[in-house]
Amino acid sequence: MLLFDQLNKGDRALRTVAWVALGGLLLLGAQLWRLQIFSAAKYRQSQETQSFRTVRVPAMRGKILDRNGVELVGNAPRYQLDLYLDELRPQFETEYQHRKLQVLAAKRAAAGEPEPTGFFAQFLDKFRHKKRGVRLTRDEIGALERQVRYTVVSNTVAAVGQRMGMAIGLSEEALQHHYLQKRFLPLSIVTSCTPQQVAQITEQGWTVPGMALEQVAIRSYPHGPLAAHLLGNLKRNDSYDESDGPFDYRLPDYVGGTGLEKSFDHELRGVAGAKSILVNSAGYRHRQAEEIITPAEPGQNLVTTIDLALQVAVEQALNGVKAGDERGAVVVMNPANGDVLAMASAPAFDPSEYVNGISTERYNSYFMAVPERRLVNRASIGEYSPGSTFKIINALALLENGLNPSEIYTVEAGPGGKGRYMLGRRPIGDTAPPGDYDFRRAFIRSSNSYFINYGLRLGWDPLMRMGHRFGLGELAGIRIGEEAPGFFPTGDEARERGWSQGNLANVSIGQEITVTPLQMAVVLSAVANGGKVYWPRIVDRLESGDVLSNDKPVVVKPGQLRSQINLQPRNWDLVRAAMRDDVADDEGSGKASRLKNFAVCGKTGTAEIKGYGRKDKVTWFTSFAPYEAPRYVVIVMVESGGSGGGTCAPVAKKVYEFLRDREQGLTKGVATK
Amino acid sequence: MISPLVAPRTREAHVDWPLWIAAFGLMLVGVAFIYSATGDTDAAANLPWWRYRAIGHLFAFIFGLGAVFVLCLEDYGRLARWSLVAYWVSIVLLVGVFLVGVSRNGAKRWIDFGPIQFQPSEFAKLAFLFALANFLSRPPEELRLPGNFVKALGMALLPFGLILKEPDLGSSLVFMPTALVMMFVAGVPRAMLGKFLAGTGIIAALILFDVLFAPPNWKFIKLEEYQRRRLMVYFNVDFAPSGATPDQARQARLLQRDTAMNVDQAMISIGSGGLTGKGWRLGTQHSLGFLPRLGAHNDFIFSVIAEEKGFLGSVTVLGLYGVVLFTGIRIAGEARDRLGRLLATGVVTLLFSHIFVNIGMNIRLMPVTGIPLPLLSAGGTSVLCSLVAIGILQNIHLYRRHY
Repeated sequence: MLLFDQLNKGDRALRTVAWVALGGLLLLGAQLWRLQIFSAAKYRQSQETQSFRTVRVPAMRGKILDRNGVELVGNAPRYQLDLYLDELRPQFETEYQHRKLQVLAAKRAAAGEPEPTGFFAQFLDKFRHKKRGVRLTRDEIGALERQVRYTVVSNTVAAVGQRMGMAIGLSEEALQHHYLQKRFLPLSIVTSCTPQQVAQITEQGWTVPGMALEQVAIRSYPHGPLAAHLLGNLKRNDSYDESDGPFDYRLPDYVGGTGLEKSFDHELRGVAGAKSILVNSAGYRHRQAEEIITPAEPGQNLVTTIDLALQVAVEQALNGVKAGDERGAVVVMNPANGDVLAMASAPAFDPSEYVNGISTERYNSYFMAVPERRLVNRASIGEYSPGSTFKIINALALLENGLNPSEIYTVEAGPGGKGRYMLGRRPIGDTAPPGDYDFRRAFIRSSNSYFINYGLRLGWDPLMRMGHRFGLGELAGIRIGEEAPGFFPTGDEARERGWSQGNLANVSIGQEITVTPLQMAVVLSAVANGGKVYWPRIVDRLESGDVLSNDKPVVVKPGQLRSQINLQPRNWDLVRAAMRDDVADDEGSGKASRLKNFAVCGKTGTAEIKGYGRKDKVTWFTSFAPYEAPRYVVIVMVESGGSGGGTCAPVAKKVYEFLRDREQGLTKGVATK
Repeated sequence: MISPLVAPRTREAHVDWPLWIAAFGLMLVGVAFIYSATGDTDAAANLPWWRYRAIGHLFAFIFGLGAVFVLCLEDYGRLARWSLVAYWVSIVLLVGVFLVGVSRNGAKRWIDFGPIQFQPSEFAKLAFLFALANFLSRPPEELRLPGNFVKALGMALLPFGLILKEPDLGSSLVFMPTALVMMFVAGVPRAMLGKFLAGTGIIAALILFDVLFAPPNWKFIKLEEYQRRRLMVYFNVDFAPSGATPDQARQARLLQRDTAMNVDQAMISIGSGGLTGKGWRLGTQHSLGFLPRLGAHNDFIFSVIAEEKGFLGSVTVLGLYGVVLFTGIRIAGEARDRLGRLLATGVVTLLFSHIFVNIGMNIRLMPVTGIPLPLLSAGGTSVLCSLVAIGILQNIHLYRRHY
């Protein structure tokens, strides 16, 4: 080849030069091969790492709806004012140059070096190669830059605030944190703009550089504190989920903290997306170059079994007990399939406070206050002694084990004209008066003596077994996180504990054991439907949150049987009739819930407990209705109430009144499905 | 008038086509990638089209080609008679830099002539080539005299020292290999060159050791601080002295990172280009500011090319330079006299030194020194002198059969 001829020519010196040149070029070529072919992947990786920032974009959270599709929890737009720092960089630079001169002059003066004055001195100064002693150190430059950034940004923010007629605070630390952590993202300066402010901003068309109005979705609670415990609250997601993949920054998102928000968090949350932002060597966003890598998939909508109108009626009834000071719970269930139609716990809270942020002080003095304990869902996690309502189970156990309902038991007289039962030398008080009792009368007058007497004869095993058949002592199995099993030992466990006849006497009338209102709803449903113990159902179906999606909703099958209790039908009838009479009979303890044209069947209960250092009472009214064809189970529990019949029965009455009126078309409301 | 590119006797065209095709290829690459590196910034600054730096580069080419045309009007032998005058003029200009020079980025390398700024060191390289070639073209017997060897060496050391003081380490360093190769080809005794080379090597090693490792008050050689840091990065010397407090060490590490940043970013640019590159104007390293904004279009232009055109592109550039260099060596071999042969050898060595040091610096074979890549780096004086250097080759080719 022509070019390489000189490598072979006779001229030794030039041949050497040619070889050296060839060697040099080959050396360069080899190093280029090493960089561009051999290690290309490594350098490409470095290049991407330094020029892109990936940001995790949370998905729109699914809504929670009532059984008719009415929104219980949704998402509302919130407008926030953002400042893009990259657009302020020219201002940073101008301000920096300006300040630098001042700092240099000050430093020069401090160093005793006179400022050049006069034309000639200034002229010479220009040509001095190095201005000794007046250079800024690295730390001084950093501090000055930080100062300049804060000046420019806070001036901009102040100008914006003035136009909006509000003071916007921005601390230097907050800005510095933002600058160090995420300067490629906008700095949020107003997190929530009022509609007036939004209108003002959009109409006037402001031209503050770098400012932008952004819309973000925020969890909204159209019914305020309604069913707050069941629906649950959200909390800021601080956990780092490795499975999400590595992100340089995660936009703030929330996870369910309690209730359905927590137990169905995975479904509601959707799948977070990712976007990448091109950044320049200073770490700022490069122009407006953003690329969606994967779009976020919205979360699924959760359709609950809750009946909104009923829930409203239930909460009104419950909150009427003590004019806002009540602590209690109400559960309404469909006995035919275990659907939870309403679930309320008082006192409640407003979950929107969690989204807006709660101060530590308020959290401690309001949310954590005792005895309110307003964060506790009393309906499902509150464990209470059932008191006399346990006599329903005791009665079934007795009848099934051969109690003759017509057999007369005579309650002996105690002090004050009341009845009493003598267990050895220990007297047990009875609210029912002394006299002759058959089963029906003992049930509706709630005679302790009667049920203790027969309960002791029956013994531990049959009694406790009956309770377990209804699922007591185990979780009812509603799919919300806050659930308790209650305390309900087996006969063996009771004996192991060394429990005596005295304990058995107490258990016979519902003391020393605990249940949750939800468990009682399951028990009452089984009584009403003749022994079918259902898993409570709270979620009807999950629907795609994407309107355009063709995905079929995932339906949770209704009426999932947990167990079937097979008793003699006569015994179910006897108990149900006794419950009807408890309300219908003037002698009955639950007569305060009596309704016209709607045969409510119930059992009252008043358990004595030691609470908060003093003797306290838990009052109950457990019921179903109507007698002929039970469609509703209503459980009312109120802490520190007067008595089951006096405090709780009227609450149930209000609920049944609503249900009856709605069925008969008397109230305008959403018809139950 | 007869075209100067036609030999006077034969009237046969003597344009060295391979040389010029390669040179034009490089010029095209230069304009294209200077545009890629600076087009957006220039557009953002609302400059008129004729003030774009890529267009400026093009103008420099046109001007340079004109200069080549003029250069070729006269036989290099006659031009060489003026070489000592040119040499001393260049020395005066280099001294002038110290008196009336203009500083950019802390280095005084330019003289301002109103509308244009001129870099005397570039001119000095060419003047030195002519002067040394002229000096060495004497009969080989005279070259055996140590006095002439010292004189030749002195001719190189004078501009070397002046440019080193500007400071412009890169430009000054190219004088030494050029001088040595020219002496070698001229026939200066090997033993003399070998001794000199060995001596220089030892001194250089001592200087390097002094610069890199000696405690501050033991430093006999005063390099500019940034030059010292660049050398430390190249030789992977830890910036934090032993026994430094944690805070000092932190500061030193930061400094080290900053100093290494340009080379690291150049390597990322080049490496991330891969085989075929990201495409013209699609490189991100310069647009996002990772490559030094002041250097992407001149000292680091090769990184831009390698990022956007990949291994294929960078090897193409090497190939074009190869054509220029080997054509130059061929021309040296064909020259009619020792002067032409030495002149051509000098041009080739000078170009090669620039190419090797500049590309080597981009890919970390060489320490960072501000030295332009012939024909590709933006900078009028450099373009002009590179073209004139190639023009000298053309001149030698043209007049090879004059006698």
